[in-house]
Parts: sequence; structure tokens; C-alpha cells
Amino acid sequence: MQTVDLSLADNNHKLYTHLSKLGIPGNKTEHYKNFAIKPILSKKYNLSVAQEVQTLKGSKLVIKNGKVIEYPADIQFNMERDFNADITHYDALYYMSHIISPSVISIELKKDANFEIEHICDDIQTLFSYRISIKTAPNTHVEVFETFQMQGSHNSLLMYGVDADIHPDSTLRWIRNEYAGENDAVVIGSHHCNVQKQGAFELKTFDFGNGQALHIYKVDLSDYAWTEAEHLLLATGEARRGNVVAINHNKPYAKSVQEARSILKDKATGIFDAKIHVAHDAKYSNAKQNSKAILLADNTHMYAKPQLEIYTDELEASHGSTIGQLEEDLLFYIRSRGISLEEARKMLILAFADTLINSVKNPEALEKIHQDFEQSYYN
Amino acid sequence: MMKIENLHAKIGENVILKGLNLELLKGKVHVIMGKNGAGKSTLSKAIVGHYDVEVTDGTINYKNKNVLDLTPEERALEGIFLSFQNPVEIPGVNNAYFLRTALNAKEKYQGKKETNAAEFLKLTRKHIEQLGMKSDMIARALNDGFSGGEKKRNEILQMEILQPDLIILDEIDSGLDIDALKAVSEGINRMKNGERSFLIITHYSRILDYLHPDYIHILQDGKIVKTGGPELVNILEEQGYQAIEKDL
Repeated sequence: MQTVDLSLADNNHKLYTHLSKLGIPGNKTEHYKNFAIKPILSKKYNLSVAQEVQTLKGSKLVIKNGKVIEYPADIQFNMERDFNADITHYDALYYMSHIISPSVISIELKKDANFEIEHICDDIQTLFSYRISIKTAPNTHVEVFETFQMQGSHNSLLMYGVDADIHPDSTLRWIRNEYAGENDAVVIGSHHCNVQKQGAFELKTFDFGNGQALHIYKVDLSDYAWTEAEHLLLATGEARRGNVVAINHNKPYAKSVQEARSILKDKATGIFDAKIHVAHDAKYSNAKQNSKAILLADNTHMYAKPQLEIYTDELEASHGSTIGQLEEDLLFYIRSRGISLEEARKMLILAFADTLINSVKNPEALEKIHQDFEQSYYN
Repeated sequence: MMKIENLHAKIGENVILKGLNLELLKGKVHVIMGKNGAGKSTLSKAIVGHYDVEVTDGTINYKNKNVLDLTPEERALEGIFLSFQNPVEIPGVNNAYFLRTALNAKEKYQGKKETNAAEFLKLTRKHIEQLGMKSDMIARALNDGFSGGEKKRNEILQMEILQPDLIILDEIDSGLDIDALKAVSEGINRMKNGERSFLIITHYSRILDYLHPDYIHILQDGKIVKTGGPELVNILEEQGYQAIEKDL
């Protein structure tokens, strides 16, 4: 292991100019300003990057402290150097993670696939930095269920990301289940998804618990491509968690639907910063954004910023945001039938969350997400 | 069954109930009638502990307890049931799950064995058929997308499953067509057992043709100003509230 100083980077790397243009993110960087990133990047970490080790064939892709230790028997992966990263990304940490970890865990899917990616981090005070590339061949349907095991990674930072390239007429369904529990490790994911003509990208994120985690996405849509992004956040304790999403309609007839639901307890802060950009050429686009947040305590904060940036006249677009408490009328109705206040609250919270949770069709994933949600709610 | 004495209540800064006295007798059907804004719904909300209503004076004694000291759920567990004028829609909460949770809460409170899923299904199926409800309504989200009539039937379904002792029906007849009114009235009549009391709030005599009330109370400006038998309904129908006001 080596020690890394995050204020320095390899200035010979081809992405360094992009990183230096954006600068190291600080508390004034727009999409990090509610995340308190400065103390995270000011720490000294041991560095653990993606490496090739002896890998076992199994049922899922397991990345432990940056090393692939298991991969599904029916898919191929390799460590890809000189990866062709997106050079229009708005997030400095996207470039930084590519620079720090130049070998990308690369998966090319030539047929339909359904597998789990499990991230395991258990070293203390370590920066785990790696990137994953997923490419789907035309006319394939892929589902990825992403999970995290961060126990033991005290004072560490997982800075990773997925570069997805969805070929024409193919679908990537990406379900991320991130249950932080009481862990103090920080997760920052900086992702890029390129959806080619008539491709589809379904993103479902389930983010529960304490601590800090932020996922930053850039999604590029071509002609007739569509994306549906759903985010469920249950932030507890002193958590600062959420999603920053930029969806770019670059070509005509692209469609995007975003739905974020956040539940904040204790002193938690939730972040939903989402922008849909419709380019001049992207006529006949359809873009919808909606954010709903429930604050369960006085000291919670929700930063919801749904935005539409439109440069064409011919489109359908809408966005909205609500932040509030549980509706008194609904609580009273439930209590008037003899159900306790605590049970009534739970019923309404579950109903709010279930709308997104129940959209997961994989029964094992569904059960795990339900379990993690309940555990997080009661902790 | 319930004795309300000198009840004063307000909603916000509006004083609505101004020293209301009313006794609801065991096994009897009481009807409250009155002009809009007289305080009928406020009275029902005060009895069940609605958060809108602040009771500033008076007592409501029921089963030797002052219900004003109880939370809304405790009042329900003690057997007080309000059928709401406008039942709320709760997307995401399954109707059957909600109703079984309520039934199990009551059984637990009474120290009884909890009804299991199979028994509950059998029980609800019977009542759903009697009420002429669509069979899938129990599997849908609570009142979500229900028509006005479906919501009212669902209130009666809850009443029949929970078997309360004091039933308050706030304009149960509003917005019902003839068939729905009949089905709802039959549901209410099934609940009559000589022990249970009813407090029916209505503007119209139509439902009373089915329910055969024992007492009619006229509520005016926050007080009960007249109590009589069913004949009072006919006077109101023929001469309006002016006839009552003349007598005062």
C-alpha cells in the first residue's frame, strides 16, 4: 500500500487537464456544497486501487478493497488500461478516480445477464479507488444488483464509479442497495452512463443509514433512448447522503423520468440535486422530475434542487418538489381505528418507500432492500 | 353509554361548541340535525379527539372514563368509531393490512387471541359480499382512487369488522346513490344489537327511513336546542328549521 495526498495528482495523465480545470472539490463546489467534502479530501489515506489478483469463478462480482476476488462464471472481465473515459463530465472526482486507478474493471456483456456486484471494504483509513466499466452489446438485457459491505473500514473513503455504455436496443437495469448502518466510512460514486440509440437505462437506488455517501451521475441520451431513475433515501443520525444527477437529452425523442423520495430522521441531511438538460437538437423529448421528502425531526435538512435546462421548444417537460412532514390527516385516520401513533407513522413511511421498493422485481433483491430499510428505520 | 356535559370547543379562534349537553343511551339510535355550521362535525371530532378541535371546557363521560383524557387510538380501542364524512385516501397502505392491523390492535387491547390471516380473509369476504363491494377493494390501497360511494362502504366494512360500541356516522349518506344508501343502511342495521349506540349526523331524512331513529336532537349555534322523537324529522322536512326556532 502507498500513501496518497489528494491535493496532488499525476500531471502526465491525459485526464489531468480536465481535473485541473474543475479543481479539487471544496465546500463551494456547487454539487458538493451540502456534503461537507473538504474534511474528507483533507485526510491522509493509505491507497488501495484496482489490481489483478488470482480470481475465483463464483456467482457474483466481488471487489474486496479494490481487488476483484470473485466473478460470475458466465461473464468475462478484464483489467482495461487506457480506458476511454468521458471527457465532458462535470465532476472532478470522476477524473480523479480514473487518474488514481488507471486500470478499469471492465465487463463486456454479449448476452443477457443478471448478476450482483458486491463491494467489500474492511481496511481502516484507506482510500479505495477503482472504476468499473459495463458495456452491453446490442439487443441485450442486463440487470446488476450492487451491494456494499463496509464493516471495519473505519475512517476510510470508497471513491469509485461505473462507466456504462449501453448499446442500441439494449437495457441496463442497475439496482444499488447501500445500507450504511453505523459505519463511518464515506462513499463517493462518480458515474457516467452513455445510452445509445433506443437504449434504456433503469437506475434504482436504495440508500439507507448513517454516515456520508454521495453519488454523482452523468447520463447521456441519444435518439429514442430513455432513462428512468428512482432514488429512495432514508438518512438517519447525522448522515449527509444523496444523489446528484445530470441527464442530458442530446438527440430527438429521448425520454427521462426521475423520482426521488427521501425520508430524513434525527439530524440527517438529504441531497437531491438533479438537472435535465435538453439540447437544441433534442426535439420531441419528454422529461419529468419529481422529488418528495418527509422530515421526521426538527433538525433534519433536505436540499432538493430539481432543474430543467431547455434549449428546444418542442418537448414535454415537468418538475416538482415537495418537502414536509407526515400528513396529520392520514395519521389521525389511522389512529382513529385504534392503531398507535408509532405504528401509524411506520405504516405511512413504509407506504411512501414501498412505491419505489416494490418496483424491484428480483425477489431476493426485494427482500434484502426491505430488510435493510426496516433495520435502518428502527435503528 | 355516553354523557356530554357543558362541552365548549373551538377550531383555531372560532368557538363552535358553546356548552353542549347530550346523553347517548345504550342501544339507541340518536340523530343530530342542524344547519350548516351549527357544530355537528365539530362535535363528532371532539368525541374522537381530532387534532383540529380544542376542547376548552366540559366533559365527555363514556364507560366511566372522561374520553378527553384519552388519545384518539385509546378512544377507538374503547369502542368509539367515527365514520368520516370524507375518508382520506392513503396510497401505499393496503386496505386489508390496515384493517387487520386495526382488528389485531383491538384484540390485543381486549386480551383476545389475534385473528390470523385466513380467518380475517373469511371474515372480510362475508362482509364485502353483504355490502356489495367489489372483491378486489380489500386488496387495493386504502381508499385510493375509490369513488365516494366506495369510500362510504369501506367505512361500514371497517365498522362491521371492528365491532365498536358507539358508532358515530358523520353524513354517511352524502353522495350516495339509492343502491349504495340501501347497502350502507343495511350494514348499519346489522350492527344494531340492543347494546350498541349510534349517533347519526345528517341533513336529510332519506337515510332515517332505513335506520329508524329513537331520538332527534337539533343542534344550533353550538348547543342542543331541542330533543324529540322521529316526528321532529317530519316537522323539519315540512317547515324547515324556522319551525324549531319559533318554539325556542
